[in-house]
Amino acid sequence: MTEQPKTLVNRSQSITLIVLRTLIGWHFLYEAYFKIMSPAWSRGGGPLTPWTSAGYLQGASGPLGGIFHRLVNAGWTVWLDRSVKVALLVIGLSLILGLFTRVGLWLALAMLALFYLLYVPTLGIPQPNNEGTYLIVNKTLIEAAAVAVLLMFDTGRMAGLDLFLRRKYSS
Amino acid sequence: MNLTEEQRKIGRRNFLKAVAGAPALVALGAAALTRGPVRGGPVKIALVGTGDMGHGLLNQYQREFCDLKALCDVNPKRRAAMVQMMVEKGWPKPNEYDDWQQMLQKEDLEAVHIATPLWTHKEITVGSLDAGKHVLCEKMMAKSADECQSMIDAAAKNKRVLEIGYQRYYNPVYQAAYTNIIKQGMLGDIYHVRLQWHRNSSWRKTEDAPAANFDPSRWGYPDWDHLLNWRMYRKYSEGLLCELGSHQLNATSWFLDSAPEAVYCTGGTYRYKDGREVFDHVYATFDFPGGRTATFSSIQSNAFEANYEMFMGTKGTLIMSREFDAFLFHEGESANTRVEISKQSGPVADASATQAADSTARTVDAPVSGTADKGISYRNEIAEFCSAVRTGSPVRCGGEKAKASAVAILTGNSSADKQTRLQIAPTHAS
Repeated sequence: MTEQPKTLVNRSQSITLIVLRTLIGWHFLYEAYFKIMSPAWSRGGGPLTPWTSAGYLQGASGPLGGIFHRLVNAGWTVWLDRSVKVALLVIGLSLILGLFTRVGLWLALAMLALFYLLYVPTLGIPQPNNEGTYLIVNKTLIEAAAVAVLLMFDTGRMAGLDLFLRRKYSS
Repeated sequence: MNLTEEQRKIGRRNFLKAVAGAPALVALGAAALTRGPVRGGPVKIALVGTGDMGHGLLNQYQREFCDLKALCDVNPKRRAAMVQMMVEKGWPKPNEYDDWQQMLQKEDLEAVHIATPLWTHKEITVGSLDAGKHVLCEKMMAKSADECQSMIDAAAKNKRVLEIGYQRYYNPVYQAAYTNIIKQGMLGDIYHVRLQWHRNSSWRKTEDAPAANFDPSRWGYPDWDHLLNWRMYRKYSEGLLCELGSHQLNATSWFLDSAPEAVYCTGGTYRYKDGREVFDHVYATFDFPGGRTATFSSIQSNAFEANYEMFMGTKGTLIMSREFDAFLFHEGESANTRVEISKQSGPVADASATQAADSTARTVDAPVSGTADKGISYRNEIAEFCSAVRTGSPVRCGGEKAKASAVAILTGNSSADKQTRLQIAPTHAS
């Protein structure tokens, strides 16, 4: 029988961590849902602009922008779009259900890091069509930091389907 | 299974702990179903009837709403011209059909848009609905109450959208006038509405047959003239009262929020004795509940003041002229006010001055300035229909409402035929 890691957190702290994990999971899952639904219509009755990552990637100004500009120009958009949808879906389900949580968190961290490095806020002034004003630190970076915090705890074994997996393979 | 109470508690607690994310998933699912997007792109649609009306409608098709798959018309020359027009506008080339049934068999369609002569509306609509297609049928609905009802029944049976296209419903000027003037009670009590559609022309079209061997009898017309000028013949048409008056009567029912109860109609073919079977001068009086009366006249011997609807209330008069010009006169005052449309915030009405409601507003003064976008009614109509198909949003003029309007018009023509005032059978819609 393998030794079970200790969580070393009290009940309130556990709940807070699970809520944080669920919220981040929701964020990823709904982003996946919306993109998978595309092309789509709003409930108000208007067609929504079909989603593609092409515009976002071509406009990327961060350190990784050049790589993705070349990928988009080489016709990889369809594959990039599919990859983004699948990744968001997998991460969202993982974090909400607490299934393979650590893998999900690492993937989330990688994805958020990627998004951050595509658009590092260096101007420090409001940007058209964007809320807020950012310099270096934006909400993507903060969400990545929150994921990093979750990685420091075994939240899948506090609550989630990882509990079942642990019992199955430890018995 | 024989568990102790303690085992049950532990089991229940473990389960709840393991499915901690389930409530979030349920909440997400519920939120997505009620607030999230509805999957689907433009509605796969075909237009049946590429005559003058179909031409006007096609010009207003928008690619984000419509995926135009096919055009159907018995006139190959006209049909080919419309295909060419759409290709030149950058649309993928729609397939061509002369037979709507063949089109339904071959095309992968979600909806059918019908702009054919009145007498074909029922057959094409019911056939399309029975084939599982949603239907947008241009006004008037059909040539009899029974035909209207069969269209309503087919839509209900097949659980498909049926919308009848009356342009005024989708016109921002009318919407603004209804919301900001009529509903606000600015006119006071309205006892009289004057409807006029006067022209000084024959209504008869001249055009060569598409080919020397073109056979109109295949489509139910004895000769080319009957096909081209179907509006002149009672088998196919209900004349001026239907083709022009139904627009205005429908708007009146909308603004008065009721359907007419009785009608007296008279008229005759006085000027153009060219073999037509419909009147070239029509005069009708529609009685609405509450002592309200609408009079309609359509003549083809004088075009002074063209067409308008004038709503006369105890506090003011609203004139909706030529669809895109509107005037409000306060009773006892000489000042008038135009209805304004704001590009930013949608239709608004400024009842106090003849000026723009905001910096980007424009007056709706098409006949004078020529700047009004007359296609907006068609665009709104088509867009709202596509929305109803895709998202289930309500239509402005469904079968019941359109039937009530059609029955009033049809009763008007019966009144003229019988030369007597007739009660309009209630259709349970107003």
